[in-house]
Amino acid sequence: MTQSNEQMMLNVRTELGTFPSPVQSNFDLAREALTGRLADDKLDDWAQLGLTISKRTVRSWEAGAELFSASANVQRQLPAGQFISWVKIGDQLCSASPSLAVAYFRASPGAIERLRPRYIGDWAQSCRSLYRGTWKSSALACKLFEATPQLLESLSFDELRRFAEFLEEVSHRSYDMAGDALDKGADLFPKLGRDAGAFIGLANTVADNSWRHVQPMFDAAQYSLVEMPREQRSSFISLVNRLATKEGVDPSRVIRDGARAIGGVGHEWRDTMIDLTHRIAAEGSAEASSAFLTTGPRVLERVTFPQLVEWHGRGMEILAEKPTAAEPYFKNESSQSHEMLDALSSSVELDRVREIIRMYSRMLAGQEIEVQAAQQLVDKNIGWFQGELPTTEGTTIYLPKVINRHPSKDRNFAFYKVISTHQTGHIEFGSFRFSFERPSSMFTDLRPQLVGTNGSALEAVPTEIAEKPQVESPATNNGAPTNGTNEDHSPIPMSRFFDLFPDRKLGNDAFTIFESTRVDSKVMDAYRGLAVSFRSVQDDALGSRPDMTELPAREALVEFMIRISLGQSANLIAPKRHMEVARKLRRLIRLMQQDVAIVEDAAEATIRACAWLTEVKNEELGEDEFDNLDDDEEDDEQQEDEDEEDDLQGIIQAFIESMQPGEGAGDDEESSEQSDEMDMGEDQDYSSPQEVDYRGEFKPELSQLLSQAQMQMMDGAEFADDDMGEMTPLTQEQLEEMMKNSAEVDIQEGQDGEEMSSELAEMLENLLKEMQRRDPQAQSQSSGPMQHVDEDGGPLTPTASDQFVYDEWDFRANEYRPRWCMVHEKEMSSGDTGFYRETLLERASLLTMIKKQFELVMPEMYRKQKRLEDGEELDFDPMLEAVIDLRVGTTPDEKIYWRRNKTERSVAVAFLLDMSASTAEAIEEAKRPNDDWGAPDDPVEYMVWLRSRRTEGLRKSYKRIVDVEKEGVVLLINALETLGDDYGIYGFSGYGRENVEFYVIKDLDEKFTDEIPRRIDRIAPLHATRMGPSIRHATQKLANQDSRSRFLFLISDGRPQDRGYSREGVEKEYAVHDTRMALMEAKREGIVPFCLTVDKQGHDYLKVMMDDFNYEVLPDVSMLPQRLLMLYKRLTT
Amino acid sequence: MATEQIYNQTIIEEYVITDEPYYLPLADEIEIFEAAYHQRVPVLLKGPTGTGKTRFVEHMSWRLGEELTVAKPSTKADASSNGHPESLPLVTVACHEDLTASDLIGRYLLDRDGTRWQDGPLTRAVKSGGICYLDEVVEARKDTTVIIHPLTDHRRTLTIDKLGLVIDAADGFLLVVSYNPGYQNAVKDLKHSTRQRFVALEFDFPDEEHEAQIISHESGCEGENAALLAALGGKIRNLREHGLEEGASTRVLIYAAKLINEGINPRRACQVAVTWGITDDAQVQRSIDEVVSSIFP
Repeated sequence: MTQSNEQMMLNVRTELGTFPSPVQSNFDLAREALTGRLADDKLDDWAQLGLTISKRTVRSWEAGAELFSASANVQRQLPAGQFISWVKIGDQLCSASPSLAVAYFRASPGAIERLRPRYIGDWAQSCRSLYRGTWKSSALACKLFEATPQLLESLSFDELRRFAEFLEEVSHRSYDMAGDALDKGADLFPKLGRDAGAFIGLANTVADNSWRHVQPMFDAAQYSLVEMPREQRSSFISLVNRLATKEGVDPSRVIRDGARAIGGVGHEWRDTMIDLTHRIAAEGSAEASSAFLTTGPRVLERVTFPQLVEWHGRGMEILAEKPTAAEPYFKNESSQSHEMLDALSSSVELDRVREIIRMYSRMLAGQEIEVQAAQQLVDKNIGWFQGELPTTEGTTIYLPKVINRHPSKDRNFAFYKVISTHQTGHIEFGSFRFSFERPSSMFTDLRPQLVGTNGSALEAVPTEIAEKPQVESPATNNGAPTNGTNEDHSPIPMSRFFDLFPDRKLGNDAFTIFESTRVDSKVMDAYRGLAVSFRSVQDDALGSRPDMTELPAREALVEFMIRISLGQSANLIAPKRHMEVARKLRRLIRLMQQDVAIVEDAAEATIRACAWLTEVKNEELGEDEFDNLDDDEEDDEQQEDEDEEDDLQGIIQAFIESMQPGEGAGDDEESSEQSDEMDMGEDQDYSSPQEVDYRGEFKPELSQLLSQAQMQMMDGAEFADDDMGEMTPLTQEQLEEMMKNSAEVDIQEGQDGEEMSSELAEMLENLLKEMQRRDPQAQSQSSGPMQHVDEDGGPLTPTASDQFVYDEWDFRANEYRPRWCMVHEKEMSSGDTGFYRETLLERASLLTMIKKQFELVMPEMYRKQKRLEDGEELDFDPMLEAVIDLRVGTTPDEKIYWRRNKTERSVAVAFLLDMSASTAEAIEEAKRPNDDWGAPDDPVEYMVWLRSRRTEGLRKSYKRIVDVEKEGVVLLINALETLGDDYGIYGFSGYGRENVEFYVIKDLDEKFTDEIPRRIDRIAPLHATRMGPSIRHATQKLANQDSRSRFLFLISDGRPQDRGYSREGVEKEYAVHDTRMALMEAKREGIVPFCLTVDKQGHDYLKVMMDDFNYEVLPDVSMLPQRLLMLYKRLTT
Repeated sequence: MATEQIYNQTIIEEYVITDEPYYLPLADEIEIFEAAYHQRVPVLLKGPTGTGKTRFVEHMSWRLGEELTVAKPSTKADASSNGHPESLPLVTVACHEDLTASDLIGRYLLDRDGTRWQDGPLTRAVKSGGICYLDEVVEARKDTTVIIHPLTDHRRTLTIDKLGLVIDAADGFLLVVSYNPGYQNAVKDLKHSTRQRFVALEFDFPDEEHEAQIISHESGCEGENAALLAALGGKIRNLREHGLEEGASTRVLIYAAKLINEGINPRRACQVAVTWGITDDAQVQRSIDEVVSSIFP
């Protein structure tokens, strides 16, 4: 080192000393390291530049300090020339903002490791481009500098640069978002590996198109994209990239759904899946391809992948024909899609066959039977837990939503048939009509005897027994309070019966087996045509039974019973030690298959079986401890009678004994200890057998409770004025007790007592609710909670008899959306008759006039028909001609009679009143045009808006549109009663497609009573106007009338509109077209529709909606009543 | 003579049922009807289609005719010498909505020489003293039903206004009407002034065992299928008012039995004779078919 050099260094050092100490100390360290590695002149430059940087602004000394601290490291990686330019770049940055320089220098050692030297400038430039002189921008730029080393681990420099570009683009909108994206990106890129670049490309696209999606997209990527199979990732990202360029596509959703769709299929199909989506996108429909990814997994639940490809192919055809139809198709919302899937898949969906099964079961059972998805029962949370097993509670049979067990539709349907026949069989053959007292047909009845011997001890003991094997501690949680209710037995016969059993679970299982066997055999006997499918289902069930040798002895014997009941006769094994019991059990099962068996026989058999089974220790058995059971039956038959009677006493004895804990009655400590030892050694907890799939869940106790509640409430009307709780024959305590005891309600017992009781309490509450719901009298007219189903949801399914589902016309797709709207039919509640009477008084003169005119209509009904072949009397003119003909010798015309023909007036008419919120408008105000258009889309806002408008209407005492409508109805009724036409008056409103409310003011076949004026009083403005479904429902009602001419009168105050009824851009058109289609359907049914509106702006859309139909726009609302009647007369005569 | 052989024409008054029509009584309807006949109280038969109303009337006509043949010869010597057994003719009129009064009473017909009066079926039954059976009487126009009023009370007369005549009914005459309350329709209901002139017998479907017996007898179908058909009938009737307006009548079950007898596969026979006959609704058809396939192996 030369002198001058040395001197300069010292000068620099001194000058640096004016800055805070780190600067100088860092410089010293760096100089030491660099000396010798760097030529002197370079070292000079370096020191000078460092000094310049430090001196540049007030805070730039920090940059200097960072420079010196990084220098040694950086220098090692760079040739001298580039090292200096590295410093120079820092200087430039520092001149822009010292903090940039700080970040730059600090990041450099790490970054340069992975950066070619020539890119250093570009790198700094990229980061710097984020800086726009503000504090936030500088923070972002610094952040990028800092993140660079990490980012470069997974990105190439080019990718990094593009990422910076992306950040720059986003930062125009929001620095925070950019920062967030940077953080997430840093986290994400290593996980994406080589696909990171592609993702950055996608990010750029998204940022260019719709920056709002950036953040959700990063979120989605973090979860979904990362987990996506590596092989498909890059092609998937390019797919998303392609879709993201289209407006209306949410990339985060595409990523999430796509990842699920692709991850969900077998790896051999994944590429195809992406390819299929690409193909849709290639045709230009981004929405449809995004929909395809969303729907794909759901479709695949029903069909195989090759079938999905076919389904997709059909969708492509549709896309080519009519692009707008493709989106609903790929969303599986169009009927074409449904049909296609139906044709492809072999699975059978409950929704499709529900009606058939309902009628089928009804025919078999001879009583009203509902059919619902099993999940619905589970959702009620009243004691059923398995959503995929068939079951019944005595009035409804619950079936799995879809059956996909076999490769053919027929066989899957046959399975539905078998399970519904079995469930219906429980109803048809009286499983739930069990009576404690009714004698059995084949046994000596032990039930009464057991009550006699052991009455009061029965209830307290079982809980102890149930707990005993677990802990020996005396801390019983629910054993104590039972004593109080012991005196009177449970009013539910089934509970009373199960109360007899020390081990309710075993009792329940045995009863289930016996009763199901009995029902199966009855079904097979009565429906021999079903026998083939029934037997094959039984065989399948047998095939999936657990291996008996792996079960402990008692459970093995229960399993043994199930196998026999399923018809296994060959290769039956049973525990060697319990051959005798097995033989006896087999005999019991066989007895159940006899013709005369009734439910009480199953009960008696259960008592016997349980007595024998409790004597069998539930111990593990080795495989060699099982043996084939001889199928020599005669032996059994002979012994039968003696066996039976001899055994009785023993059975009762066994029952009494098993009531006592332990063998030695528990009073002697030693013996109880002994028995404990034995228990611990061998006896295991008994657990219920695996369900037989086609038999499903059988809960006689709960079912009887529910059906009894229903029956008692029906004929228990006199109790109705009592307290609601008293109305049920069961007290709440009794019910609680029953639920606790019942083996059917399998609540996880043990660990946490509190949790159990809260779970139970909830279930209890639901159960009480359910029982009340079944009480026909308690069913009051409640408008029900407004539930919202997402507009994107699928078809709807009615769950009650007053719900009806209708298709809706989607004019863009040019097809129906199947089962899209749910109409709730409700009877209008009744108010008072004031309005009716007042109107009659007020409009008395008009009424008399109208009545007169209507009476004139009457005589027109008779017409004399002439020239008939047959009639009352000879018609003079043709008779004369005929006689002349005869005289002349020619053949006379035979038509010589006339008859008074009653051209019977046979008119049925339905009036549909618009009860939308807008009818609350006062008449004067109605002149304000198109007020409804400002209706907000958001449900909450909509209701607020509605309310404010309603109160507005109330404040002014003007007549509202709805009042005029009501007046019209009152007058109409009077006129129509004169004519004797069949007429119905309905109001409609609603909110959303699943809540179309349809109020019956007077049904078509309802007679006019005092009730009707009361209902008219309650006509009031409600919510929105979805006309289509209401029209369809009214059409349905009219179609059932056999009148010669039928009319549908639509009285409205504006265009149809509803949430989701006016869709996307084409808004109003959708509703108008659907309404029009509904009217066309009516016309097809032979119904003449007519629309009367008070919306003066109505002409524009009515021209479309009512093209080909008659309509009238009333210039003055108050004319409505008169005009309505006049129109009616003109139209129907 | 040859014509008679071909057409087997019978003058309306002489339409006498000579062979016993099969009828399986389900309750005391035979005794009631006999009692009503002896007292000449008109009878109204109610019940769904295919429950044997018409068959019952035929059977009673034969039965009461037998009674006459057996009872009367001893008192009326010339009648027995005539060689014709006494008998009770049966005049059946199926009512339809255009049935006018003159369709029942009679009308003028054109003749070579002018006009000629032709008695209607009701008039002829009144004159000859047989049972006049108006089937599905509600179908007839209301003004038509009024003319039967004087025939159904103590007067037992028929007024023929066009001739200016009042005819006293012959001794054996009895009016029997039937209707099907199943078509619950306000328009088509009997007026009370009409319905309260009859004793009413309600007909319903027989229980399974009896129905099986009837099916077996009518079709000649052997035991088992008849029982299965009867079971099917019962099941289908559970759907009445819940998809079906009327259940499967015994008649269609008999048709099915006849087809089965001819060797048609039972499931198919039920489909064509029962399912497709009673409903057009595809879903109801399907569900009935399912019941059929459950019952018939």
